[in-house]
Amino acid sequence: MRPRIIPVLLLDSRKRLVKTRRFSEEVYIGDPFNVIRIFNEKEVDEVCVLDINASIEERPPDVGFLAELASECFMPLSYGGGIKSVADATPIFAAGVEKVVLGRASNDPVAVRALADSFGSQAVAACIDCRRIHNDWRVVFDRGRAVTSRDPVAQASAVEQAGAGEIILQNIDRDGERTGYDVNLVRAVSGAVNVPVVALGGAGQLSHLAEGLRAGASAVASGSAFVFIGRLRAVLITYPSPHNVKEIFTNGGAVS
Amino acid sequence: MDNSNPGVTFDDSGQCTCCRDALARKPHEWWPTNEGRIRLNSTIERIKREMADRPYDVIIGLSGGVDSAYVAHMLRRDFALRILAIHVDGGWNTEAAVRNIELLVRKLDIDLHTHVVEWHEMRDLQLAYLKASVLNQDAPQDHAFFSALYRLAHKYGQRYFLGGMNFSSESVYIPEGGYPAMDARNLRAIHRAHGSIALQTFPTLGSLEYLWLARIRKQIQILKPLNYLPYDKEAAKRELLETYGFVDYGSKHQESRFTKFYQEIYLPARYGFDKRRLHLSALIVSGQMTRDEALQELKVPLTTQEQAARDKRFVAKKLGITVSELERLITLPVVPHERFANNQTLYRINQRFRKIVGSRR
Repeated sequence: MRPRIIPVLLLDSRKRLVKTRRFSEEVYIGDPFNVIRIFNEKEVDEVCVLDINASIEERPPDVGFLAELASECFMPLSYGGGIKSVADATPIFAAGVEKVVLGRASNDPVAVRALADSFGSQAVAACIDCRRIHNDWRVVFDRGRAVTSRDPVAQASAVEQAGAGEIILQNIDRDGERTGYDVNLVRAVSGAVNVPVVALGGAGQLSHLAEGLRAGASAVASGSAFVFIGRLRAVLITYPSPHNVKEIFTNGGAVS
Repeated sequence: MDNSNPGVTFDDSGQCTCCRDALARKPHEWWPTNEGRIRLNSTIERIKREMADRPYDVIIGLSGGVDSAYVAHMLRRDFALRILAIHVDGGWNTEAAVRNIELLVRKLDIDLHTHVVEWHEMRDLQLAYLKASVLNQDAPQDHAFFSALYRLAHKYGQRYFLGGMNFSSESVYIPEGGYPAMDARNLRAIHRAHGSIALQTFPTLGSLEYLWLARIRKQIQILKPLNYLPYDKEAAKRELLETYGFVDYGSKHQESRFTKFYQEIYLPARYGFDKRRLHLSALIVSGQMTRDEALQELKVPLTTQEQAARDKRFVAKKLGITVSELERLITLPVVPHERFANNQTLYRINQRFRKIVGSRR
């Protein structure tokens, strides 16, 4: 099977889709349902939807909304935001979501273990947000507000140990920048764990996705690459055609 | 045409007023000749000189449809213009529409600006229009487009909008058959009567502001380059298909799923009006179709029952109402736009004023 290419969609507190730059400067992207429908027709591998304020606002996931979204979504859907426990996750899986993404909760090995035991590791992804602070990579939580002393490689091993079946490695410094992934970061973390690592943060065009894969990522994800086009960052939902995907994997992304 | 529309009458030879009108305008509005080409060339040369110190030469719209796409294609290929394209996303884009825009923007290397209308406001406004039961249900989408266009033109110091409007496929319309989308007072009144949330971000252009910018100051000049070409929509579509892998989504103006619903379900159900008649009549006027061919094409039903049911389900779900509620809204008695506050007097005064001023020149 070829590596997955995953659009990441961000929800704000009012269920509007937005796209951030370095986790701020939110730009409105549109109605989540219409965007999902367009991705359906583009036959996207998988979609990841993250509620970026749920944890900060101590808000539990909106199961009704997720059920509606999952019913519209023809591809595998993963969701993150406000999930702390098996009790939170159970109705989400029942609603048709295939994978939960843990942010702050991924730091709690007991919770990760309980989720992996209940639903299987393949249904539990840990999202590791990192930033560079004084030339060191640091793991952060709560939209970058809580800075830890952990480095991403150690954190990746810890969540793998706890039972997470996938790691979404998110680089806040490149978020929305569209200049490409930090390949050294992707390489370091991918090399340290056996579970799939999904690169996120920085991709702006197809060649960047190829770079992420060459650096060792098992799958590549992006917000900007699939919701913006051109110099003016115009909102437009795109996804590489099967023909372009083939080119990414054969020529290392000569297409732009 | 047929006589199902008030305002359309026929002469002794069976020709309707709107076709006669279109034929009479033809020599003044469409130059599919070498002379047209010369006029277009000189207009564009003038624009290029005038806009040389601006970031772009012209603004165009990109809806994902054929006409506007052909404008982009032709302006890049024949004139290498520096183009700023604007797209307004009202929440009803089809996949074909966004794919077509992507193909063009990438291959022609055009700068695109998208204005995304806040969906919860758009939804509230469109529901208000359906509840108000007025004719021009496409007004919210159209109003948003032109308001966003004026804002964008201001932001980038642009003066020329080159649109896909064309005589060749759009020359026939019913006199007094529509209602201007730019009447912001009417839009607000309809929303005040039937809306439920405030329109905080929806782009509107007040009537005075509009008349000032569009008609008096002429901040933007709207040009129709396709009227200077032997434009043939079917041929244009084939050319776009071959050059860009353009996606054909069927009939006219279906880049928006709401417009599809409006033209295929809403208008026929409420007014017995099949918009294809206008389009086909225009093709007859422009000599691109015979009357017999057009009648043949009209025999194909506008939509099928299954498709109509699917479209209604889609629109209802998107608007957050049930299908039966949508069906109830479709069958409400027709209410004229003038029942709501409006600025039609202002527009008429402006028109009369311009006629007087114009005749003295």
